[in-house]
Amino acid sequence: MRASKFLKAAGVMFFLAVFACIYAGQANAGAEDGKKVFAGKKCGDCHQTEGTATEKTFADKLKKKGPDLWFAGSKFKKEWLAEWMQNPNPIRPLEYNSIEKTNPGNHPKLAKKESEDATEYLMTLKSKDVQEGVIQEGASNIQGKLAFEKKVSCFACHKYPKLGKPIGGLTGPSLADASKRLKGDWVYAYLKNPKVLIPVKRMPVYEGILNDGEMKGIAQYISTFK
Amino acid sequence: MKRIFPFFIAVSIVMTFSGGSAFAASADENYKWYCAQCHGSGGKGDGINSKDLPVTPRNHTNPADMKKLTDGDIENVIKQGGAATSKSTTMPPFGSTITGDEIKEMVKYLHKLCNC
Repeated sequence: MRASKFLKAAGVMFFLAVFACIYAGQANAGAEDGKKVFAGKKCGDCHQTEGTATEKTFADKLKKKGPDLWFAGSKFKKEWLAEWMQNPNPIRPLEYNSIEKTNPGNHPKLAKKESEDATEYLMTLKSKDVQEGVIQEGASNIQGKLAFEKKVSCFACHKYPKLGKPIGGLTGPSLADASKRLKGDWVYAYLKNPKVLIPVKRMPVYEGILNDGEMKGIAQYISTFK
Repeated sequence: MKRIFPFFIAVSIVMTFSGGSAFAASADENYKWYCAQCHGSGGKGDGINSKDLPVTPRNHTNPADMKKLTDGDIENVIKQGGAATSKSTTMPPFGSTITGDEIKEMVKYLHKLCNC
């Protein structure tokens, strides 16, 4: 009887292991295919996929044509990324690196399979400086709301949802539906250690201005934006 | 050589752990990179974010307005932002972004903009 139970359990374990291997293999194949899509579409002409950050001056930053993606897997949510590359509606109201020109919304579109494979690839690109599981997403955070709205007024440059309507400035990426796009852990890591992740940017550095609780609070508050 | 080596080490340590930007930019470059977002590249308070702000950004070319502020006031508001200086909280603090010397250069730059 005991031997029979053991055999059943071993059988279940075996099948689970086989399925896990097949799933992992498919994801890996997707990532490999996605890397080829990325190269074939010349995405690397605008996006840096190998870390760490290379820019040191404003001039270095201005040479870049699009945001870095060497930490894409730490920053973006997989479902959003796969959908966005098929329908790339502008996230930044203004053209990348400009504080004058409107975003032309001309990011290339990928087909569904290409986008899914490219997503698998991009999700493998992670930064060791973004610790996972720190921010509890979706929960309200009054300290974060106060810091976001009153202490440092992030809305001066970033749109965010206020009473169901996006309000705020234009020079930063919109945060209007950030809960779908950004991982809370990324937002916290970026606030805490911006010089490692994006060393040259127009957003001020908040190290020494916001305390750790406020940074976590802002990340959590942003994770509620729908 | 023995005296120079510790000097380079000391400089490297200071550069690594000091606040502010990793590179020195001129006041004109800093203004057009950071301040122009709200104050406009000419300093008239008409940057692209200005129409979405609850308080109109200060016009740095207006001598009557600018003369109300001492150099210390200007330095403080750049370093600590509006919240710490009883101004609009939409003015962010730049004390961790640019160096103290860059802030002092910015004060001089603002005097040039208002010609005052």
